[in-house]
Amino acid sequence: MSSTKTADLLPDARSPGGGGTSPVPARRRSWRQSLRRDWQLYTLAVVPLVFFAVFRYLPMIGNVIAFRQFEPGGSVFGDHWVGLEYIRMFLNDPTFWDVFTNTLVLGLLTLVVCFPMPIILALLLNELRNRYAKRIVQSVSYLPHFLSVVIVAGIVMEFLAADGSVNSALHAVGHAPILFLQQPGWFRSVYVSSELWQTVGWGTILYLAALTSIDQDLYEAARIDGANRWQQTWHVTLPGIRPTMITLLILNIGTFMSIGFEKIMLLYNPLTYSTADVVSTYLYRMGVVSNNFSYAAAIGLFESLIGLVLIVSANKISRRTLGTSLW
Amino acid sequence: MVGRPTRGYRVFQVCNTIILTLVVVATLYPLVNIVARSFSGEGYINAGQVNLIPRGFNIKTYKAVLHDSTFWTDYGNTVLYTVVGTAISLVLTTCYAYVLSKRNLRGRTFLVGVAVFTMFFSGGLIPNYLLISGLGMRNTIWSLVLPNAISVFNLLVMKSFFEGMPTELEEAAAIDGLSTYGTLLRIVLPLSKAVIATMTLFYAVSFWNSWFGAFLYLDRPNLFPVTLYLRNLIAGASGTGSVGFTGSDAAQAAANIQSVTIVLTTIPILAVYPFVQRYFVSGVMIGAVKG
Amino acid sequence: MSELSRRSMLFGVGAVALGLAGCSTGGGTKKASDLSGNSADSMTAYAVGDRFKAGKPLTFTTLYDDNTNYPYNKDWLFWSEVSKRTGVTLNPTIVPYSDYETKRSVIIGAGSAPSIIPKTYPGQEVPFIASGAILPVSDYTDLMPNFKDKVAKWNLEGDLDALRQDDGKYYVLPGLHQDVWPDYSLAVRTDVLQKLGLQTPTTWDELHTVLKAMKAAHPDSYPMSDRWSIPTPGGNLLNLLGQSYGTAGGWGYNNATWDPNAGQFVLTAGMDQYKQMLQYVNTLVQEKLLDPESFTQTDDQAKAKFTSGKSFVISTNAQELVNTYRPALATTIPGATVVKIPVPMGPAGATKMGSRLENGLMITKNARNSPDFVAMMQFIDWLWYSDEGEVLAKWGVEGVTYTVDPAGDYRFTPDVNYVGLNPKGTKNLQKDFGFMNGNFAYGGATKLLDSMFSAEELVFQKAMGARKTLAVPPPYPLTEDERQQSTLWDTPLKDYVTQQTLKFVLGDRPLSQWDAFVGEVKSKGGTSYLNLVNKAYQRYKGKKG
Repeated sequence: MSSTKTADLLPDARSPGGGGTSPVPARRRSWRQSLRRDWQLYTLAVVPLVFFAVFRYLPMIGNVIAFRQFEPGGSVFGDHWVGLEYIRMFLNDPTFWDVFTNTLVLGLLTLVVCFPMPIILALLLNELRNRYAKRIVQSVSYLPHFLSVVIVAGIVMEFLAADGSVNSALHAVGHAPILFLQQPGWFRSVYVSSELWQTVGWGTILYLAALTSIDQDLYEAARIDGANRWQQTWHVTLPGIRPTMITLLILNIGTFMSIGFEKIMLLYNPLTYSTADVVSTYLYRMGVVSNNFSYAAAIGLFESLIGLVLIVSANKISRRTLGTSLW
Repeated sequence: MVGRPTRGYRVFQVCNTIILTLVVVATLYPLVNIVARSFSGEGYINAGQVNLIPRGFNIKTYKAVLHDSTFWTDYGNTVLYTVVGTAISLVLTTCYAYVLSKRNLRGRTFLVGVAVFTMFFSGGLIPNYLLISGLGMRNTIWSLVLPNAISVFNLLVMKSFFEGMPTELEEAAAIDGLSTYGTLLRIVLPLSKAVIATMTLFYAVSFWNSWFGAFLYLDRPNLFPVTLYLRNLIAGASGTGSVGFTGSDAAQAAANIQSVTIVLTTIPILAVYPFVQRYFVSGVMIGAVKG
Repeated sequence: MSELSRRSMLFGVGAVALGLAGCSTGGGTKKASDLSGNSADSMTAYAVGDRFKAGKPLTFTTLYDDNTNYPYNKDWLFWSEVSKRTGVTLNPTIVPYSDYETKRSVIIGAGSAPSIIPKTYPGQEVPFIASGAILPVSDYTDLMPNFKDKVAKWNLEGDLDALRQDDGKYYVLPGLHQDVWPDYSLAVRTDVLQKLGLQTPTTWDELHTVLKAMKAAHPDSYPMSDRWSIPTPGGNLLNLLGQSYGTAGGWGYNNATWDPNAGQFVLTAGMDQYKQMLQYVNTLVQEKLLDPESFTQTDDQAKAKFTSGKSFVISTNAQELVNTYRPALATTIPGATVVKIPVPMGPAGATKMGSRLENGLMITKNARNSPDFVAMMQFIDWLWYSDEGEVLAKWGVEGVTYTVDPAGDYRFTPDVNYVGLNPKGTKNLQKDFGFMNGNFAYGGATKLLDSMFSAEELVFQKAMGARKTLAVPPPYPLTEDERQQSTLWDTPLKDYVTQQTLKFVLGDRPLSQWDAFVGEVKSKGGTSYLNLVNKAYQRYKGKKG
């Protein structure tokens, strides 16, 4: 997942459990008083609220077309009720279950690879004594994060082409060229590696921030207790960044279902559908390309709901077992 | 953390250096390779002999792409969308973040909830698409900039920053008779240059890089951003014919027009990256460190 | 976000209540026959032989399929000449050809489609019928004298029946051909053939032998590397093979194929002929005669291989042969010669498949409500179906791009070239003038088509013309419910077959798993789809009596 979404967590990481930090006014003012006092502030919120209403909440309501027949050019909320017709259709659609499985597999692989790697890299960076070297490694590894997904896809294609670098290396060791982007068996590896390439560096930022905030006295105490570097890492560093890890993990789980739509759109082709086609790409093809809007909206609603359920349950489990949570 | 390094730790340091060097190499290699391909002759490219250094130096493709008026139109569009989108986003995000940073504001919880809920649940592709179409925003710049005007992540970073500002300044401003607008404009914003710079960069990069909205909502090629120009090349939707190649030049172009376009599209980001990357980092840190 | 309580989340949900009213446009469509109020600026007496002329200058919107070989140019003579003659300005929405099908859906789905949607092959209109976005054009053929005239003259009523849906209407105006005529085949480097002492292959087996000989002489190369694989992998190659094997593939693939012996439709992917076809391609790939990238590479890549002499056989049509391959080869490989061979024959013998219905156009439903609807239909009739319109779209403007000699034959003016018919011409009929741009006036009389063929193309057409034309499959009109259900099965099934086809072809899946594959196709909706099609066919047959 893109780290731009994840990075707001540190506030929570630093105040786990969400203890009330906001000073509660001694006496609640009435609405009338608040409006008179703060009306200028409220006016500032009007346009952003309209934005959220129109571009975020209206589409949520727009999901009613999953239960209504939609006609192009007609109302965006559909024309008449059809009940659970479309839900029934996709539950009976064998292709849907294929892409659902693909989504789970690809999501899990990405999570397993792209979640721990930034932690490891951050720990390694943290051990680097030379400040210039550290800065160079950071600057370089952040770079791919700023490239458009189109550029990344282009690079992947050039890199893995029959005349690309990887195949010329294979050629050098006497291996026949592999057409990576045409073989379903390779798609997941290609996708996850490119995702790792793009996100691992940027993913370290939050951990590095958390690392600097660990109380140095703790290391001192550990050393006095005779802990070696490894034991210090295990007993001081990792617990120190644990809240960050957990919040990031919860958010990663929440975006599990909507994984990599734009990149997959660019990298997949009918040859690799059997592993590359995920829920979001399938609903794009069914909805936008084949004009079955209601059907695709039903699938999309299902996807969104699963995402919501995943993040709520991950949060709940985390709060019960680890005492850290997003809210 | 001073202390006598043990032998094991020194071994670790060496390994660590090697690993991190490999990370740097692995990150840079594909990029350097693309640059090398973009300057190479087709014979070497097709034979798979281009790695880090251009071979059979050739800039025909560069010349052709740079002479392609569509490329420049699209580049101009990208600049326009980025500038307009960033400006709108900055204004909206700043306003809302400022409101949310007022801890004593009645209804603040609701206002925060409105924004944060959208991080966890979204309408999805189809309703969004139908909405944008229904609003008649297809084939306008608005279909690209308005739906992404506020990023909740950026909003929360800014909110954290404003919350961390000393309240005394604003109280003094209020005593001096400044309105809320005046306080925001004359007191708060001048003190927020760092976070505004960061937000500008975050938004600008995301607008510069986006392509799917354009693919979905724009039908007229003279409106396309340059990312779509590149996408059409790598997806085979446009070819060397559209750039005006014939004969042997076409073979050269077919071999590396994608590399050339990738390089040309990336240059602005690479050019500013060294100067601005620390702002990005500080931006995330602001969100991270200020509670 | 410490203060992000569950309560605030609930508030967020509460914000849903901010819902605004939907933006409803639409409005019911009037009865088909009631054209009062839609006849502004039309011609009261418009008949065959008349030139359409709008009462006042009009603008009609149209989708436009932009070919990279002759990219759209707003200054083309085509646009201004159409305006000059008819008073109609065409306002095109430009779409790159490989995205055309996707974009067409996107635009129609958005409800913002232009009035005219050209380059639509019969069958492609079906998803849009279900969603109610396009007009049943068969209700309005009375406004189109030229169309009706050609249908009657060339006896095309039966062909049109295949387009009718269960409501008895059809929703696409097809291009009309007097005869079946194939254009696509394979281009072969004849100088290489000569050097190796080989004959031009006439069957697929001979092609196999030829490729083997080429491979033996050039062990490092793939003798054939194909194109036209985006968006349909093996679009042309599998289409040609499908016809030769008595099944369907590539561009021509449909999930259901008519089996005349059984008198019903069968699953294409379950046919023995389909398996044999895959077996053949698989052999080519296994023996490294056919480049495995053929099924995914871009046209540019395939063309580059062919024109740089790395491969010797590639898919072609008449235009590409002359416009692309020959000029490029002339600069890279002196002495290289290339021809379009008659489509190699397979087990099905000397047959050619094909319909006399070409791609045509759909009309957006909203256009029906326009005051200028009748004028638009008359204009369409003139541009697509009148002799004058067809000549304009193909040959251009007399005295500028062509002249007519006393014998009545068309000739290009000295400086205009098209597919090498006039090699000395410096201007290209397509690139520089916008005629033959692939969107307007497909089809036409055989004489008109032949007039644009070079001598070698006429040889090709003669060879193909001698083959027996297979009967078109009978119609199976679907009801609205069936259509909606069938699109859900049809598209994923096609994707799946495409994907597995390539696996078999590339050797990623052994053909020993063929039976398992057929089972998968059936369980993925194949059986249900086929039942639906056959049921619809039986119903149609019953109605016809």
